[in-house]
Amino acid sequence: MVMAEGTAVLRQNRPGTKAQYIQQNIRADCSNIDKILEPPEGQDEGVWKYEHLRQFCLELNGLAVKLQSECHSDTCTQMTATEQWIFLCAAHKTPKECPAIDYTRHTLDGAACLLNSNKYFPSRVSIKESSVAKLGSVCCRIYRIFSHAYFHHRQIFDEYENETFLCHRFTKFVMKYNLMSKDNLIVPILEEEVQNSVSGKVKHEGNHIEKTY
Amino acid sequence: MDEQAGPGVFFSNNHPAAGGAKGLGPLAEAAAAGDGVAAAGAARAQYSLPGILHFLQHEWARFEVERAQWEVERAELQAQIAFLQGERKGQENLKKDLVRRIKMLEYALKQERAKYHKLKYGTELNQGDMKPPSYDSDEGNETEVQPQQNSQLMWKQGRQLLRQYLQEVGYTDTILDVKSKRVRALLGFSSDVTDREDDKNQDSVINGTEAEVKETAMIGKSELTDSASVLENFKFLESAAADFSDEDEDDDIDGREKSIIDTSTIVRKKVLPDSSEDRDTKEALKEFDFLVTSEEGDNDSRSAGDGTDWEKEDQCLMPEAWNVDQGVITKLKEQYKKERKGKKGVKRPNRSKLQDMLANLRDVDELPSLQPSVGSPSRPSSSRLPEHEINRADEVEALTFPPSSGKSFIMGADEALESELGLGELAGLTVANEADSLTYDIANNKDALRKTWNPKFTLRSHFDGIRALAFHPTEPVLITASEDHTLKMWNLQKTAPAKKSTSLDVEPIYTFRAHKGPVLCVVMSSSGEQCYSGGADGLIQSWNTTNPNIDPYDSYDPSVLRGPLLGHTDAVWGLAYSAAHQRLLSCSADGTLRLWNTTEVAPALSVFNDNQELGVPASVDLVSSDPSHMVASFSKGYTSIFNMETQQRILTLESNLDSTANSSCQINRVISHPTLPISITAHEDRHIKFYDNNTGKLIHSMVAHLEAVTSLAVDPNGLYLMSGSHDCSIRLWNLESKTCIQEFTAHRKKFEESIHDVAFHPSKCYIASAGADALAKVFV
Repeated sequence: MVMAEGTAVLRQNRPGTKAQYIQQNIRADCSNIDKILEPPEGQDEGVWKYEHLRQFCLELNGLAVKLQSECHSDTCTQMTATEQWIFLCAAHKTPKECPAIDYTRHTLDGAACLLNSNKYFPSRVSIKESSVAKLGSVCCRIYRIFSHAYFHHRQIFDEYENETFLCHRFTKFVMKYNLMSKDNLIVPILEEEVQNSVSGKVKHEGNHIEKTY
Repeated sequence: MDEQAGPGVFFSNNHPAAGGAKGLGPLAEAAAAGDGVAAAGAARAQYSLPGILHFLQHEWARFEVERAQWEVERAELQAQIAFLQGERKGQENLKKDLVRRIKMLEYALKQERAKYHKLKYGTELNQGDMKPPSYDSDEGNETEVQPQQNSQLMWKQGRQLLRQYLQEVGYTDTILDVKSKRVRALLGFSSDVTDREDDKNQDSVINGTEAEVKETAMIGKSELTDSASVLENFKFLESAAADFSDEDEDDDIDGREKSIIDTSTIVRKKVLPDSSEDRDTKEALKEFDFLVTSEEGDNDSRSAGDGTDWEKEDQCLMPEAWNVDQGVITKLKEQYKKERKGKKGVKRPNRSKLQDMLANLRDVDELPSLQPSVGSPSRPSSSRLPEHEINRADEVEALTFPPSSGKSFIMGADEALESELGLGELAGLTVANEADSLTYDIANNKDALRKTWNPKFTLRSHFDGIRALAFHPTEPVLITASEDHTLKMWNLQKTAPAKKSTSLDVEPIYTFRAHKGPVLCVVMSSSGEQCYSGGADGLIQSWNTTNPNIDPYDSYDPSVLRGPLLGHTDAVWGLAYSAAHQRLLSCSADGTLRLWNTTEVAPALSVFNDNQELGVPASVDLVSSDPSHMVASFSKGYTSIFNMETQQRILTLESNLDSTANSSCQINRVISHPTLPISITAHEDRHIKFYDNNTGKLIHSMVAHLEAVTSLAVDPNGLYLMSGSHDCSIRLWNLESKTCIQEFTAHRKKFEESIHDVAFHPSKCYIASAGADALAKVFV
């Protein structure tokens, strides 16, 4: 694929150019989360959030593929993270208790439909105010995929996280833009991040600290 | 029963005993005791008071019933009267409009003649009235004589109006059909005549039902209301047409109209008694030729006309449409030829011949799937026409003027019947119904395949560019492969209403997840049960395609994924499925081409290791004319044909190399024509090249786009080529003439790329394009 200049792309605020920009930054260094998340000057925040969310859904496919092999409907019959919560799949007419793999797939498909729907997101250069709220709910659901993978398929989670730093990035993303309440961020990466940023240490890769929540 | 028995009793009293017995019979069964007994008991010649009362009651009841019936009947008849009156009014309006049209055409005729005369003789032809007819004036008035002023401009206007009218005619085909059908039904016209036409043209008609209706409608007649004025106009037109010289044809009307006026002359010739079918055919066909040759002069005025009048039409259509005229004409000719040959049997003189003619014309209007082989146009043949006209001047001059839909009116001094027929036809034509959509018009005037394609569905759900797509062989189902690592299956019959735009949104019914990188290519098996996708991760995933009617949010079924075909070590860029052998062919960036058996998920059957001399294969396809061959194109600019059984390279298709030119121009796509031994390649340098598979020679090369050509697809009939390019445009090409029929602009650019793939549906009328903007569009 031919890669366009990053700066040149920025100047043209055409639909889809933000996606190019984000992808370029990810390719450059996927661990440099701050750079990836930092919007260019003058960038509309709604569009920026939207494009990032698209990118997250895209990359989550990789995690879903990995989960497909291990997460079966008879082993993980419900979508859970910790014992406290059971998550119901919102992709159906009435919320349904889907097995975890179904929840994952439905959530990703539903997010794809929503983010691509003409009704809520008719344009990629400007986001309607009413649709910004949708981004938050998509984030919540997407996050559950991370949490289920963390608590039930730790190995897959770690593998994937080491490759892509996706959960780190996602957590930071939702915190930065207040898309989810902090109570929902149950994957312990967060606390570690907070510790690190407070103490100024370099980010710690991987996450093997068990924390009860 | 009692009521009926009642009168029966008394009537039977006047009858002989047998009648009385009958009357008594039902009475005996009657439930009413008193009356029945009284009636039965009454002596035959006696009347009893209750009996009389009973009788009167019954009679009255009967009368009341009958009165009610009469009232109903009257209401019905009144309704019918109103309906007929309405019909008649409609017909009258039609007639008026048609007369207007005729006037316009006459005017155009005169213009043409003037032009021709001027061109031919360098002088002005003194024609008299050159003023465009005023439409508000009384129908019967002829156009007044006026000095010819600024004929060029008026001619343009005239043409524009003409075009508009004829376009309107085309718009309203079905309404025409319906109306004429109803008219016919009203008249109780027998349908035996129509059947003959139907049988002949059934098979070759692509717009099946419509053409059929048209044919039947053609023969129908209608009530002829005040035909005097109309006939008068007809006569005028006839005399005008008598001097009509072919070269005066109005060239700027699109091909449709040309064929119309052409057929008018053809029909005249049809009436000649000496016609052997071939001769007629030839003459008729040659009529078409001049149309093509004489269109050059009108390029300048064309654009002016286009801008103003075809406001509803896609602007880019017109210029494109012109290019195809040659192809269109030749195809029309071929079809006409075929039709003429097909017609046998006894025909009724004149009218039947004309009717057959018209039936043919209708098919001539629609595009057949034939190869053109007609010889070059010859001017002298067309000049034969005037001679014939002169010869026939004294005979009945049946001038048929079929509008674009192929309907005709037949006029003649002697054949009032024909003129009635014709007028019936005309009367059956509806006034331009502006409400009709443009798409309908274009779609119905040309062949179903050749119609203009319009965007119908937009498939949004991918997060990243769509790299490839594949249609299901039979169902309206499409699978898209995207850089977001997924494939999605779409059912085009499940659409969601979209708020804006005319195209409908479709949501995917299934998402295939297994690739770890962008999915680059996808093919479906010939049954549609399996599909195969190749990705940048080097794996070819084999899937069982799900039922198109599943719920998108069903449980995950692990059996959908059959398994990966392992072997390639680098991205798989191209796949081709062989229906004959149930095999899959893949080409990869690791330089190899592999052949797989698709019935099981197992390592490759054979590997063609070509990275030594030919570079990296970018695209591969199976040669349709020879199932054991495949054609592969390489990044260095070569294309070769291989024999898969012997694993040998058979021949290398000659690439058009200049000595100094860039010989490593990457070939993005190679496809094999479904029926002809031709391979077509899409190049990075904007060219599309055609090669003969047998000789390897370059047949044709053309600059197709403004940027690299990325994808090619040939329609299942082998007539059209579709090419997609990074310049955001898709172009549809006529394969015989190698001219561009239509161009769409679709998809936005991402990373300087735009359209990655295009495809035709193997059995339905869909074409699809895959864009880097994560959208797939389907056109109908």
